[in-house]
Amino acid sequence: MNSARAMSKVWAQQSAFNRIVTFSTKATQHAAAAVSSAGAEPPGEEKTSATAPAAAQPPTPTPTPVRKPIVPSNYRFIYPEFLPDPKVEWRNPIREKLERLDMLDRRRQIDLPEFYVGSIMAVTSSDPHAAGKTSRFVGICINRDRCGLRARFVLRNVIDHQGMEVVYELYDPTIQKVEVLRLEKRLDDNLFYLRDALPEFSTFDENMEAEHLEEGAPVPVNDIKVILRPRPWLERWERQNLRGVANIDQYIKDKHRKSAEKVQKPWEKYDLMKQYRSTIPEEEQKEVFAEVHTELHSLELQRKRNKRKRTFVKPKQLA
Amino acid sequence: MNQADVTKLMSQLRIAVRPNQRNLKNPDGAEGRLLKLRKTVTALMKHERIELYYNRADEARGYAELLISNAIRHGDRHRATMELADYWLLEKQLVHKLFKVLVPRYENYNVSYTRMYKAPRDYPGMYYRQSVLELRGNPYPSLFMDQSQNRNLLHNVLLDEARKEYRRSKLADLVK
Repeated sequence: MNSARAMSKVWAQQSAFNRIVTFSTKATQHAAAAVSSAGAEPPGEEKTSATAPAAAQPPTPTPTPVRKPIVPSNYRFIYPEFLPDPKVEWRNPIREKLERLDMLDRRRQIDLPEFYVGSIMAVTSSDPHAAGKTSRFVGICINRDRCGLRARFVLRNVIDHQGMEVVYELYDPTIQKVEVLRLEKRLDDNLFYLRDALPEFSTFDENMEAEHLEEGAPVPVNDIKVILRPRPWLERWERQNLRGVANIDQYIKDKHRKSAEKVQKPWEKYDLMKQYRSTIPEEEQKEVFAEVHTELHSLELQRKRNKRKRTFVKPKQLA
Repeated sequence: MNQADVTKLMSQLRIAVRPNQRNLKNPDGAEGRLLKLRKTVTALMKHERIELYYNRADEARGYAELLISNAIRHGDRHRATMELADYWLLEKQLVHKLFKVLVPRYENYNVSYTRMYKAPRDYPGMYYRQSVLELRGNPYPSLFMDQSQNRNLLHNVLLDEARKEYRRSKLADLVK
């Protein structure tokens, strides 16, 4: 206990970056709890409360076991935008919390289903330039980025032999409906290489029916390898270690291969601090999801109920 | 970086982490930096207390902490953690030490696994700040002086007075 107290003082002195030391108070609290439960010297405050005259006051309420919600471990994949930006300069706990509340408010209004990069989606949104009209865009999600209320995704499709991409903000109030037509993942984190692939790999039927995925089944990974068209390309794909591309080798020369080798950074997988700075630590993730879990879970249940209703109605119409 | 990387899950560090890294100037770039820090982390795991320049110690500290916390989190049956240990510990007998000595030692810790002190720098000498980096629970004597017996501390003054008073009262009893 003493060492923990001393350490917290040392931290306070040493830490020039006060805002990142979110754990400083908690660690000592945990330490205190652990020590007192172990039966070692309890902190002073508890002692005084224990020796206080019990006759005058009702006995202190016994600590009821607080049941914490069990947050599924895959929430960080389903709702990555609820996690704050790991960049320390941009952190602001109050803003993050308010944003989470706003996101939940929006989710109560509109069903924003689970989707991943590689899923095929349809987004219906109202057009700011045509009052009272909506547009529906079907496409494959090729990227997901940003967090909080600014979370967005990119849909891509080929329409009339012309590649089209639309960037949607997930919590944009002009979005009226988001459907996931085929829920699946791809081999890569983003699919920008579809811009340089043959058009059939990013062509999807506008009138596509939503495909049904069994409840509780893992999200399938589509290991399709796309075929690129010849150079020139928009990016140097040969440098990006893409797993979802079949024929890069066909178009690159030795000089490209050499330069690609030169820019590789094989040591980055050992750079623990770099990874740490780009992630949100587990304890913090738990805190965030514990805050939003009940609401998200009830929304999920609601969606399931609605789905069942719809599936029940269908055979009626056929008969 | 606009969205947190969710593929990896790491435990929270109990030390203050800078928002960005120090580059620790070296001609070999980012890789050279890691090679340099590798030596420091190895030395720390081996000797448990080392004295070195502050910047390098502060950088190496995070890597040592994460190495230990990953070892605790995944254990020695996890291939990726083993690769990490293999990379960071240049002397391979230290891999055994990490999993067999340090993991049991730190399993139930609520505080950081390492400790860092500012050390005086010799004058005249290099300008750089010096520091001491150590693993907690090491076998060496503490670097802090034990001040509990200091005569001038308030509780010692009070204890002394109480003792004196007790003796005085005893003497008074004897006299009666």
